[in-house]
Amino acid sequence: MSESTTQTNSVAAALVSEDDVIRVQDLRLNFYTNLGVVRALNGVNFNIPRGKVLGVVGESGCGKSQTGLAIMQLTPSVGRYEAGQILFREFASKEPVDILKLDKNGPDMRKIRGNNISMIFQEPMTSLNPCYTVGAQIEEAILLHQTQDKTESRKRAIDILQKVGMPNPERIADSFPHQLSGGMRQRAMIAMALSCTPTLLIADEPTTALDVTTEAQILDLMRDLQNEIGTSIMFITHNLGVVAQMCDEVVVMYLGRVVERAMIDDLFYDPKHPYTIMLLRSIPRLGVNRDMRLESIKGSVPDPYSQVNGCPFHERCPSAIPGVCDTIMPDEIFVAGSQTHTVRCHLYT
Amino acid sequence: MLNYVLRRVVNMVVLLVVVSFVGFWIIQLPPGSILDVQINRLRQQGGNLPEAQIQALRERYGVDDPFLIKYWKWISRSVQGDFGTSFQTDQSVGERIFNRLGISLGLSLTALLFTWLVSIPIGVYSATHRYSIPDYVITFIQFLGLSIPGFLLALILLIVAAQLWNQPIGGLFSPQYADAPWSWGRFVDFVQHIWIAVVVLAVGATAGLTRVMRANLLDVLNMQYVQTARAKGLKEGIVIWKHAVRNAIHPLVMALGTLLPALVVGEALIAIILSMPTIGPLYLDALRTQDMYLAGTILVMLSALLLIGNLVADLLLAWVDPRVRLE
Amino acid sequence: MATVAEELQRSRKTKKVEDVGSIPQWKLMVRRFRQSRLSVVALGVLLVMYTLMILGDFLAPYPHDTLDSNATFTPPTQLVWGPEGLGVYGLKQELDTEKFQWYYTTDTSVIYPLKFFVPGYEYRLFAIIPMNVHLFGIDTPGDVDQKVFLWGADKEGRDLFSRVMKGAQVSLTLGFVGVLLSVTIGSIVGTASGYFGGAVDNIIQRMIELIRSFPDLPLYMALAAALPLNVPVLVRFFLITIIIALIGWTGLAREVRGKVLAFASADYTNAALAAGASHWYIITKHLIPNAMSHIIVVGMLAIPGAIGLETALSFLGLGILPPAVSWGVLLRDAQTIQAVVSYPWLLLPVACLIIAVLSFNLLGDGVRDAVDPYG
Repeated sequence: MSESTTQTNSVAAALVSEDDVIRVQDLRLNFYTNLGVVRALNGVNFNIPRGKVLGVVGESGCGKSQTGLAIMQLTPSVGRYEAGQILFREFASKEPVDILKLDKNGPDMRKIRGNNISMIFQEPMTSLNPCYTVGAQIEEAILLHQTQDKTESRKRAIDILQKVGMPNPERIADSFPHQLSGGMRQRAMIAMALSCTPTLLIADEPTTALDVTTEAQILDLMRDLQNEIGTSIMFITHNLGVVAQMCDEVVVMYLGRVVERAMIDDLFYDPKHPYTIMLLRSIPRLGVNRDMRLESIKGSVPDPYSQVNGCPFHERCPSAIPGVCDTIMPDEIFVAGSQTHTVRCHLYT
Repeated sequence: MLNYVLRRVVNMVVLLVVVSFVGFWIIQLPPGSILDVQINRLRQQGGNLPEAQIQALRERYGVDDPFLIKYWKWISRSVQGDFGTSFQTDQSVGERIFNRLGISLGLSLTALLFTWLVSIPIGVYSATHRYSIPDYVITFIQFLGLSIPGFLLALILLIVAAQLWNQPIGGLFSPQYADAPWSWGRFVDFVQHIWIAVVVLAVGATAGLTRVMRANLLDVLNMQYVQTARAKGLKEGIVIWKHAVRNAIHPLVMALGTLLPALVVGEALIAIILSMPTIGPLYLDALRTQDMYLAGTILVMLSALLLIGNLVADLLLAWVDPRVRLE
Repeated sequence: MATVAEELQRSRKTKKVEDVGSIPQWKLMVRRFRQSRLSVVALGVLLVMYTLMILGDFLAPYPHDTLDSNATFTPPTQLVWGPEGLGVYGLKQELDTEKFQWYYTTDTSVIYPLKFFVPGYEYRLFAIIPMNVHLFGIDTPGDVDQKVFLWGADKEGRDLFSRVMKGAQVSLTLGFVGVLLSVTIGSIVGTASGYFGGAVDNIIQRMIELIRSFPDLPLYMALAAALPLNVPVLVRFFLITIIIALIGWTGLAREVRGKVLAFASADYTNAALAAGASHWYIITKHLIPNAMSHIIVVGMLAIPGAIGLETALSFLGLGILPPAVSWGVLLRDAQTIQAVVSYPWLLLPVACLIIAVLSFNLLGDGVRDAVDPYG
């Protein structure tokens, strides 16, 4: 086990570019519940280069949201980090800090939250507090991190609301969340998240709950703002179409592990891991033979309380090698001839 | 908003009319009246009323009138502020009630304030420290508080206060202060007399509300916006108190509507033990002696209190929660 | 994720790994219930209490209403180990002429043996089998009139233990039956209201609104005061039960109505209708199982309140009336500070009441958590 870990780390280290905002190394997170231990994250490695958009893809329960929450140290209280580091570097010139070493609710962590790293959640309908106006909730973050001046914070809040494409920012600022539509609320959330120009934005399925046209608008907006402000984005989603539209680089997660990571083009044109391949085949495409049935991945994600021997995907994998895949955990290795594309699969060793 | 309030008030008045009708009907159900009780007592003492005088009394009090006429007499006078004359003491009903209602209301409001001041912080603590040892202790004490009859608690506190601290027992004032003008001494004496009642009244309600607060806050803490608030970098205390508690507090506001009259009446039992001149014992006495005008008036007044309490609670709720306000 | 995790933190020690999805629902409920240990203890306590209540006449050595002027305020009898096994010392009643109180001195020279399964007053076990055997009693010579008072005696020299046993038969059943009745009314009316809608619904809703416009305790008091006085105990018992039920049903009826309405518009109802199921089928197969657990929980949580209500009414002299006994009637003896300080055993019925109500509260809470862990 320890041997494989070091090897994995060395691969990860080789991948690391000099100027990363976030480096997640061997992150392990368990939940202790009375039905058993849930191993949510089992050694997650990735990094997000400055100014880039990283997509994190996977089925429900693969640990992608927990990874995002871990970076914010917002993991539920039953969770315990068993190992790993999350290194955050605000500027290229600044020393990186290990977020996991900071006190969960201490002043250093709170200074990072909302200021340097901010987060957007999946449910725009419930992610704003119904008791306060949208403006007040945006100003709250600005007053906390940027300025003490109330008129200044108000001005900035309205500015940012305008920036996210609100037609009448003053009126919106004085509205309560329940008076806005889902798309408007998500814009407000984005405004709140960007109000302190964070170094990293974690977007946890920000468009899943929205309809398709609104989704497209929100994605455009995020892309534009990302270009303008230069914020790095960790984009968590299960929608590969959205990934294609948004991301520079992608990691695919399965059962708390990164199974493949690649630049966006490599992932779509040259997927390696059987899981990734099957994920891609399950998306309908234009121009493909109409008689061909859309493939689905057989089986479902194993029970979270159990521990699977070997590769966690072997039970569902069509190319599983008996005696190998069900006993030995594959390491993360580079795909031959690439410096950016890695995969965790016995087929490529 | 004004529209809403007006509609509520009209609805309330209509309800009160029906309540008074039904309430009075229930109150006059038992056969006989306080007049019989009084005449019997007189006879037992050896006196005897001439039949003519009894008849005069019967007519004066309208004992033999049909129900609808009795009701009409009572309600039409009540509307004019004349609640009739109590059979028992010949005092005006209005005077007897208002004296005591004031004390009852004061006591209950104090108890309600006490309830809020205690149950909110304890409920919050209990919810944020779920399944910790203090949470278990608080939970157990809550159940105990819910399960101990108020009058027993009053009795225990009375014994403790009397035996250990040599405190005065019963009533509202010590004799030397009873008719004295207000002064610091009188105030202290007053507080010494009523604190047991306030605590006892508050204990049951506090236990219940703490539980509700805990459950509600636990729900709210699972809401996404609490996570949003944390993600902004707010201190945990601000996240809890500004973002979570504000959304969990509805039932405590609603409690104003239901708790206030419950407290006003709840002290009936306690007041008997503490021999306090409040509305509860008066109501009980009126029921027992079939003093129907007195009992009917108290019942309707308590209903009015309940309805007004509900209205105030709804308005407060609208103030706390914009979703209610803007509907 | 958060909810599951939060909910389950309490037993970190459990290491069992099994397929949670394959366990039947009721087993999960039992398992969750057993996790709240206080509730399990409460269930045990209640089982014991109800068993004692059923065996009440057998356990009680004397009738609850036998007056004995020679035994006024006798303190609880002390059991001693004598030559013939358990027994009690002789007691002598004396008058304290200064305080005008009876007091008792023990005469340690005599020990009257405690006998088991002794003949006593006639009763019917389980209200059916005629019997006169009682669990215990003391054997005294013909010229000595002494009794064993496990929990002391009251002002009239009546055995408090026997009275508590008798009172339990009222206090532990009245609230229970009242809640059963109110839950039944509430579910039927609520279902009807939600199901038929229109005028029926409107009338029922107005009625509920009216009942809820009365503060409850005063309304209970007024209704109880209107009950006829000269009726047998059993009739009065049922009348009070009915009063409790008549007011208590409104809350549940509203909730059930809400459930029915939600259910009527639920997708699975439409699915069932589309599949050709009748309304009756849907109500019995989908709605009732759906609402049942909720109704049971509401009922469980209402029982302690109903028990307290009976006690309060009886305490106020509006409920069960002497010479019949309930715990509330017994509490009347303990309402003055003098009585409690001089004769603290008069508080024993209060202790029983608190234990019963506390147990019902804890049990109800445990059941609610077990049935509806996130609700």
